[in-house]
Amino acid sequence: MQLVNDLVSTQNLDNTAGQRAIVLSAQGLVKGYGRGKRRFEAVQGVSLTLHQGSVLAFLGPNGAGKTTTIKMIAGLVRPDAGWVEIAGQNPHRQVAALRQVGAVLEGNRNLYWRLTAEENLEYFGVLRRVPRRLAQRRGAELLAQFGLADKRQTPVQKLSRGMQQKLAIAVSLIHDPQLLLLDEPTLGLDVEASQTVKALVKEIAAEGRAVLLTTHQLDVAEELSDRVAIIRQGRIITEEPTQALIRQFSGSTYRLEVDGLLTPAQQQAIAAFGGTVNGSIVHFSGSPTSLYDLLNVLRPLPLVSVARDRADLTQVFLKLMQDPADIRHD
Amino acid sequence: MIDLLIAELKRTWIQFIRYPAEVIAGLVIITSVFYGLFLSAQYMAGPNFAFGDRLDAVVVGYVLWTLTLYIINDIAIGLQSESQTGTLEQVFLSPLGAPRVFFARAIASLALRLSLIVIIIAILTGITGSQLAFPPVLALPMLSLVMAGYGLAFIMGACALIFKRVQQILGVFQFVLLFLLAAPVEEWNGPIEILRYLLPMLPSTGLLRDVMARGIDLNWGDFGWAFLNGVAYLAVGLLVFAWAERTAKHNGSLGGY
Ligand SMILES: Nc1ncnc2c1ncn2[C@@H]1O[C@H](COP(=O)(O)OP(=O)(O)OP(=O)(O)O)[C@@H](O)[C@H]1O
Ligand SMILES: [Mg+2]
Repeated sequence: MQLVNDLVSTQNLDNTAGQRAIVLSAQGLVKGYGRGKRRFEAVQGVSLTLHQGSVLAFLGPNGAGKTTTIKMIAGLVRPDAGWVEIAGQNPHRQVAALRQVGAVLEGNRNLYWRLTAEENLEYFGVLRRVPRRLAQRRGAELLAQFGLADKRQTPVQKLSRGMQQKLAIAVSLIHDPQLLLLDEPTLGLDVEASQTVKALVKEIAAEGRAVLLTTHQLDVAEELSDRVAIIRQGRIITEEPTQALIRQFSGSTYRLEVDGLLTPAQQQAIAAFGGTVNGSIVHFSGSPTSLYDLLNVLRPLPLVSVARDRADLTQVFLKLMQDPADIRHD
Repeated sequence: MIDLLIAELKRTWIQFIRYPAEVIAGLVIITSVFYGLFLSAQYMAGPNFAFGDRLDAVVVGYVLWTLTLYIINDIAIGLQSESQTGTLEQVFLSPLGAPRVFFARAIASLALRLSLIVIIIAILTGITGSQLAFPPVLALPMLSLVMAGYGLAFIMGACALIFKRVQQILGVFQFVLLFLLAAPVEEWNGPIEILRYLLPMLPSTGLLRDVMARGIDLNWGDFGWAFLNGVAYLAVGLLVFAWAERTAKHNGSLGGY
């Protein structure tokens, strides 16, 4: 049933993405560091577009240029070429554009350690142009939403790593931005904390925000993202809807399991479709439509599972890293 | 802007007070250093020397020195350590723009330090029996002094943004500052007299000494110069800071890379 779900959900996404407003548009970003011989082109022509409510996973090996790209989007690093627009404004020209950006940056403390959770929310709220009272109110709501209400008066220093990360995300939302940039949001978190952060990111996207996240945990990316962009040595080598990308790398073999024994007639019919039978398990290679003909043959046996042999993002990623030339999409 | 100012005051105050032991230790150290300086000045002046305005002028100089030094350190060291810990980038993400945020910070830091200095002066005048005058018109040369001081603070902040390590520069700067604040400019004659008006803060410190320690009325002509001096250094400081911000963004070095 996985298959059917995938089809439906990607179709939905593909249809609606066109109608939703564009939140982030970055075109042809280029950034080099250093001079002369030591000159190094960290980012070489990266373009990204994000719509409301969508999550883009920005993947790539260490040093590929993810953080540099994110910082160019956030106005913290000036691109050598290319431009960024957030809700129609360029953060490098109009600081007001930053009103629509929240960011949790990689490996950083994004918070004041001597201030409590509440105080951080209020301070950063004001810094992001939220009136103070409103910042206090929104801060309290976010603490509740993020399950930190009982920690509101604890100095950040005394919070666990997972709580600090959750708080950093809450703070990045205090001004209700349309775009959220998360650079490795689950780095260094234990399983449970990662789960909560993942759930929160889903909620945040469901609220209609666009989320750009980088991660080295590909299962996180697979679970959260609508689209994946993979960057390697400063260039984007592929950008596709997550499920489409995975499908593209998945075999077209289905594995069906039934409850009970197949009659010889059924077995013959399956063989005629090119399928093979192994006890109560049927393997079948064919188009998604012929799969339904096969399912008819199995009637009335109860189905236990229907699944396509499915690649996961890790396999996709590894294949792309080995041989990027094969799968370049323009 | 008011909200920002309140928020910065609150943040400065909380960060300062969260560890009361540090605060008290700090106060004790500053006061005793002050007292020590005062005593050694007295000693050097010799026992037969008639104290009075000269010694008070020294106290005024030291007070101003710590005040400006604190403002400058707050901004420069603050920038440096926030760049290392990572909060700096969050500050630069403010749609208010960095110069405005740091200006609010400078004011908050001044308010805090000024209150501390008042306490310290109260203790010191208690111990030494010094007679300092605090007429309201004092606020004017104080303002011109602080403006020039902020100018220097922003220049040091710019150094912190670009060079990352500012302790050494600040260490040297401390003495430059001491010279600027304690130099007996009133006695300068001839060609160097013009420096009285050109060097940062000098025209203001002269006025402050006159008003606080010598009980002389404010000379409005001199104040005009002091004010111009303050405005000019503040403007230069802000320009240099804006340039440093652009450079740091170009080098990708805001985040302590
Ligand atoms: N400020 C800087 N000055 C010089 N070189 C830099 C600077 N920032 C990044 N680089 C270099 O640019 C390249 C890209 O770095 P970036 O941090 O964007 O990679 P990344 O994709 O985020 O990697 P990671 O997965 O390790 O976080 C790296 O080789 C890095 O050393
Ligand atoms: Mg990175």
